[in-house]
Amino acid sequence: MGVKIVPRHGDSLKEKLYLLAIVGGLKVTFSHFMKNLKDTSNIETICYPEEQPKDITSRYRGVHRLTKREDDSVRCVACFMCATACPAECIFIEAVEREDGVDEKMPSKFSIDLLECVFCGGCVEACPCDAIRMDTGIFSFVKKNREDFVLDRDTLLSHKPMKGSN
Amino acid sequence: MATITVDDVEIKVKDDALLIEELLANGIEIPHFCYHPALGKDGNCRMCMVEIEGKKRPQIACDTPIKDGMVIRTKSDSIQRVKRQILEMELINHPIDCPVCDQAGECSLQNYYMDVGLYESRLSTTKTRGQKHVDIGANVVLDQERCVLCTRCVRFTKDITKTKELGVLNRTDHSVITTFPGKPLSNPYAMNVVDLCPVGALTSSDFRFHKRVWFLKPDEGICNGCSKGCSIYVDHHKAKYEDDTIFRYRPRYNDRVNGYFICDDGRLSYKIENKNRDSYAQIRGNESEHEYATGKLVRLLKRHHGKALFLLSPSLSLEEMVEVKRLAKYYDAKISGYDINEHDPKFGDDYLKCSDLSTNRRGFNLLDIDDKEANLVEYASGSEMLILIGRDDASGFDKYKNISVKVSINASMPKSAEIYDLFLPMKTHMSREGSFINIDGYLQFHKTHVEYGTQTQSLCDIVTTVLEEQSSTCRDIWDKSLTSIIKNIDLEDIKKESIKMSSL
Ligand code: SF4
Ligand code: SF4
Ligand code: SF4
Ligand code: SF4
Ligand code: FES
Repeated sequence: MGVKIVPRHGDSLKEKLYLLAIVGGLKVTFSHFMKNLKDTSNIETICYPEEQPKDITSRYRGVHRLTKREDDSVRCVACFMCATACPAECIFIEAVEREDGVDEKMPSKFSIDLLECVFCGGCVEACPCDAIRMDTGIFSFVKKNREDFVLDRDTLLSHKPMKGSN
Repeated sequence: MATITVDDVEIKVKDDALLIEELLANGIEIPHFCYHPALGKDGNCRMCMVEIEGKKRPQIACDTPIKDGMVIRTKSDSIQRVKRQILEMELINHPIDCPVCDQAGECSLQNYYMDVGLYESRLSTTKTRGQKHVDIGANVVLDQERCVLCTRCVRFTKDITKTKELGVLNRTDHSVITTFPGKPLSNPYAMNVVDLCPVGALTSSDFRFHKRVWFLKPDEGICNGCSKGCSIYVDHHKAKYEDDTIFRYRPRYNDRVNGYFICDDGRLSYKIENKNRDSYAQIRGNESEHEYATGKLVRLLKRHHGKALFLLSPSLSLEEMVEVKRLAKYYDAKISGYDINEHDPKFGDDYLKCSDLSTNRRGFNLLDIDDKEANLVEYASGSEMLILIGRDDASGFDKYKNISVKVSINASMPKSAEIYDLFLPMKTHMSREGSFINIDGYLQFHKTHVEYGTQTQSLCDIVTTVLEEQSSTCRDIWDKSLTSIIKNIDLEDIKKESIKMSSL
């Protein structure tokens, strides 16, 4: 199998020392700490869950969705790149021949076990067809049974992108 | 012997060979589409370019005879540039549909492009289209757009099977591979074109979309479709939360037995293997606990001590045959290998396929296991218990009223389970190791380990369990008994290659 070697970053002495970066990080932490200590009334808190967060950005990695083509059919071609990239091995796909002439192949089954998923976004990154995204903004997912955390193809297709993402 | 210098390293090579053969044999990567060791050179793809000192232009390695003292460069900038240009040209009309292409992961075009590709399209014209997913017969699916026109498939049907079903139609970038009208691809070796095709233009409808190739684990085995015993790769995968499953067989090069190819019947026989891994123990047709069934076998053998007859399949491994022989001796039982079922006069041909469907009939000869009909009749008339191993033909013994107990130990479930007092499953061919002698007298080792989800034991383990011994490996069995019978060949030798037995 062909392997493409991508250049590795972070090889300079400054980066290899780590210490400078750690000091930089600590500086940020402490400046916030001091700021909040001086003025406690200004610390941002919300009464969750009555009050829902409003600052979820479009880059937030929420629960996945399967995207659709212009004709509203599934975009995924069951290439298994996401399942291959997934470190938690929690994407389960079964491929079939696609008969409607739009493409050759599609998933008959596509499920993600959210209890195993680590929300790393690797699947989105790996997809060559932009068929899977994590831009639903769904950050809380509560169910009663383990089985309900395994989202099937149709559920994933029904998820909508959050407002403001493209 | 000649000495040539490749990328500043001197190597010794055969002087009557083609350059590409020796370069590949020495582990030097030379991209190539049209050259194939079984089909020879054709010189049409120009992918195998190398720089030869003293020659003005790059030369194709597949059509260059070796000369002593040649100085060759395979990785110089100018060669990389040439390869990049050839690949760019290959991709002009290529659909680049790797996500839906079954070849992705084992595709030469993909691999070479990874090494020297341009990664950037300079093309603004539309691509020439071809027919996609066309069923051309014999489980082969053709995609004309993905084809690099190496003509390996055409030359296979012309030179190897001599059936000439495939050809190139039209000229220039309208050239496509096709079959003749009303004449689909149909010959007993047709599916080899799927392995031969360096890209995803020919894929197998049997394997298509069932598994991405990079998940597969290839074990090195021997086909048990007939007595030829072709070398194969057994590609299997155990997906998360699922049972280990075989997805395909592929030919494994073995110049002594099957060369580069296998027959389609053998190739598709993996399905039986998958089905057989679900076999379970039965007592008179009712499902039984595995341990209870094994215990019952011991009790029956004890009860009929001296009055049992073991009937062996000629497809057991040598190790299994000697182990069963030992078991029979312990219980003072008779043993016979007479068999007429594993033979099909319509199966054989003059290439690989053989009418004898057993994998190890010559093992009987070597291990002195009687397979004469007359002797079987005599043994059967004097027995109370019949133990069929690896076979399911107990109904042929209905006429012997003296036989009151019938037992079967087999990989596949019996056709009519009620006729057996006991059925005990054993591991299938692809789930255990063993040595076999093929029809031409080649002793070969088979090692595949497709896992079982059940408690089913291999035949050798069943024997040691019944005898209350430690389980033994092939090595143990060779040390104990086979080495004294096969004197000049050792197990470690046949693990490396098939060896012809002189004493047969
Ligand atoms: S987010 Fe990461 S862990 Fe979750 S499904 Fe995608 S690749 Fe797997
Ligand atoms: S979601 Fe994307 S990466 Fe995953 S199988 Fe579908 S097309 Fe391939
Ligand atoms: S179909 Fe495959 S083997 Fe045949 S010419 Fe095209 S690329 Fe070569
Ligand atoms: S010729 Fe016989 S051993 Fe070879 S692949 Fe076919 S069935 Fe298997
Ligand atoms: S492999 Fe040499 S020209 Fe095709």
